[in-house]
Amino acid sequence: MLTGKLWKRILLHRYLYMMLLPCLLFFIIFSYIPMGGLMLAFKDYKFNMGITGSPWIGFVYFERFFNDYQSMNLIKNTLIISGMKLFLYLPFPIILALMFNEIRGKFFRNIAQSISYLPHFLSWVVVVGLVQRVLAPDTGLLNETIANMGGDGSTYFLMEPDYFYQIMFGSHVWKSIGWDSIIYLAAIAGINPDMYEAARMDGASKWREIWHITIPSIMPTILILFILSLGSILSAGFDQLYLLRTPGNMHLSDILDTYIIRVGLQGGQYGYATAVGLMQGLIGFILVVLANRLSRRISDTSVW
Amino acid sequence: MGKKGSIYISVFLILVLLLTACSKNNEPANGGTDGNNGTKTENGEKPTDGKPATWIADRKIKGLVFMGTDDYTEDMNAEIKQKLKDMTGIELELEIMKADHSIDGLIAGIASGDLPDFITFYLNNSGRPEMSVILKAAREGMFTDLTPLMKDTKVFSKYLQDDYLPLDTKYGVMFRPEFNGSSYFVHMNINREGGATTRKYVGGPFVRKDIADTLKVDPRTIKTSEQLYELAKKIKDGGFKDTNGNAVYPIGPSYWGGKEVSALYPDLSWGASDQRIKPDKDGKWLHEAQTEFAMKRIEFVQKLLKEKLIHPEFFTVDESRATEAALNGTSAIIGDMHNYQEFNNDMHYLPIGPLDNADSPYQMQVDFKSGYSGWAIPSTTKNPEEIVKFADFLASREGKLLWQYGLEGRDYTLDEKGNPKVKQEVLDLKVSDPNAAKKLGFAGVSNSFGELLGGTDIDRMADFGEMEYGESVHPEVLAGANGIIDYFDWDGKRKDAKINDGYPPLSFLGEFDRGTELKTAFDNYNDSLTRAYYTKNLDEAKKVMDSALKQMQAAGLDDYLKLLEQKNADEKTRVKY
Repeated sequence: MLTGKLWKRILLHRYLYMMLLPCLLFFIIFSYIPMGGLMLAFKDYKFNMGITGSPWIGFVYFERFFNDYQSMNLIKNTLIISGMKLFLYLPFPIILALMFNEIRGKFFRNIAQSISYLPHFLSWVVVVGLVQRVLAPDTGLLNETIANMGGDGSTYFLMEPDYFYQIMFGSHVWKSIGWDSIIYLAAIAGINPDMYEAARMDGASKWREIWHITIPSIMPTILILFILSLGSILSAGFDQLYLLRTPGNMHLSDILDTYIIRVGLQGGQYGYATAVGLMQGLIGFILVVLANRLSRRISDTSVW
Repeated sequence: MGKKGSIYISVFLILVLLLTACSKNNEPANGGTDGNNGTKTENGEKPTDGKPATWIADRKIKGLVFMGTDDYTEDMNAEIKQKLKDMTGIELELEIMKADHSIDGLIAGIASGDLPDFITFYLNNSGRPEMSVILKAAREGMFTDLTPLMKDTKVFSKYLQDDYLPLDTKYGVMFRPEFNGSSYFVHMNINREGGATTRKYVGGPFVRKDIADTLKVDPRTIKTSEQLYELAKKIKDGGFKDTNGNAVYPIGPSYWGGKEVSALYPDLSWGASDQRIKPDKDGKWLHEAQTEFAMKRIEFVQKLLKEKLIHPEFFTVDESRATEAALNGTSAIIGDMHNYQEFNNDMHYLPIGPLDNADSPYQMQVDFKSGYSGWAIPSTTKNPEEIVKFADFLASREGKLLWQYGLEGRDYTLDEKGNPKVKQEVLDLKVSDPNAAKKLGFAGVSNSFGELLGGTDIDRMADFGEMEYGESVHPEVLAGANGIIDYFDWDGKRKDAKINDGYPPLSFLGEFDRGTELKTAFDNYNDSLTRAYYTKNLDEAKKVMDSALKQMQAAGLDDYLKLLEQKNADEKTRVKY
């Protein structure tokens, strides 16, 4: 219950609270109210009865999903792809931030940063379009280069499952690395310069400075971002994979998100798709809570 | 204004912005359904006396179109809209639901429950994915029963006659036994006469005429996939170039983008390309995966790919690049196109074959009648009989004359028989500036608004004295198409054609208890085929195809084939293949 003192404080800072209002409204309208729709996961949805009026059917959709022959493959693909994006990708933006931090020329640093941020602003449709053109058999840049160097030059990279993970991961790194390095760069900027000065006086090399000062100082940021990203471990990035899918790599690229779109929107099974989506969210939520506890116990760094 | 005032106004504006973004348009969807508050005529007065015989009601009718913007447009020409209003009292307003796939929009639209006076959707046959969606909606009481409303109409009352509708439309789409005589959606694009042809399509692979001439090959003599392979090899060895001086692909993709094209190798395919099921000579129903043809086709395609005789992205290339390859002559053989492509009016591409089938020589297949789209009236619409009457007007000759030919005097004149003669300036505009022509607002210039409710009971020759828009006045518009029709001997082949009436094999998936799983397995089979084409060898391809067959069998393929056998034995549910 709000005490009188708290009300007084709110009244005193009413303009600041009013500025907070649109943000709160945004989350209430677009994030919390739609959560009510999750009840669809337990209902036999009827067009004429709506979400609330449709009859309850219990855990039928969950049983159906686990009885589906595709489910294990979908979960496996999702975990592999999101695992690569979470664990394998993690050092990339950190390394880039460390590299940016070491560039002394301000002009060159600004140019390099801007170039690395740009791909973030391109949609996946554009990025995958570029990937398709570069990797096209015969006419693509890569195949032309291979042909000019005496190779075959007709490999259809997007149709070959052997190249799928490299293409998926490579395009993800290219698009995200610059933007994701910003937060680490900000954390690095917050490190007290005296620490570096002291290290240099003690004769530390550049590598030692990075290893013993920079990385430990930004470790809380790394941990917090990692914990938060665990929440989406079962969301492997719908747009990218939906666009990169070809019949050749389908058995590797079909993930829970693409499955939800296929059965939910294209197949009209809203309840079933909601159930699978709910499961994704719940598993992500549990992982975030567990990782947060573990992190608090080990390193005193936690989201809450 | 003080600082405080600015802050209050800013916060107020933000709130208004948020709230208006969430609010609904409360204008009643059925417009002036009481028949009194419609718009005025061009004279500025509500018509009272002397209404034309075609008058229905003074109201606005809104329709939501769950079809692509490539095929339809929301924009109506003001003069045509007014003419429609003067003739019927109805002001028509269309909105296209934009979605990645039209069925996504249909599902979301119906689920929202906020539907206008009528909706329209793609519906080639009862096997189309949209069918399960509208069927669910009909079963759950979302649509108005149209049977009693059709009884008093001129055109749609024919739908109630015994011999008018094709089997699938009658028992699979509209008058399903479970509805006990009621019908909740209307299947469109039905020919007035059974087995009649509205367009003489010549489809399949086409070869560049100059290349065929140089190689001294008559494309019509190509009857097997092996002969096609030989032709492709000769093209490759001939070193032919496109208009930009680049080497051609012997076999290029379909004009409309990458896809499987069974017409390239019908002797290596089993059943229609979108069905892949038919009975063998002993009457046993089989899926293609259970025959030798899938592996034979894979072997053939792998040979084409390895020898670089086919475009490497034949099955997946996007439409723009595929069309560009056709327009530039980069595809020596275009995998699939038809004779009505405007770029080929000079016949520089000629049709190949047609090739023979897996177990029989080529025979033209003609549907007794076939649908294309459908419409329904939500149960929330008031006075639904007015919508049906309006549809009936659009399906009548008078209505069709308006939405297919435009306005008399402006767009056409009438000859002594009462048939429209298209004006030269309209045809010229259509050629020089198709977008400007489209703004004239009728089907002849590619605005097919009237087709949504009125495109049925089709017999253009009887109605307007010509098969194609403008053909009777200016036959040169279709010189290429008609030239190819003669070259192909379309009329000769039509005489020996097999006329089919029945359900496509996949039509019964909706009533099959594991239909959803089986549909997924069928889709997986199609994807597996493409995957198998690109495997390194046949053993690997065999593994992929065996896995696809196992998935189909696990999803109930054998039971489904038995169901087809039973359905085919019943005269009301014969299966066509």
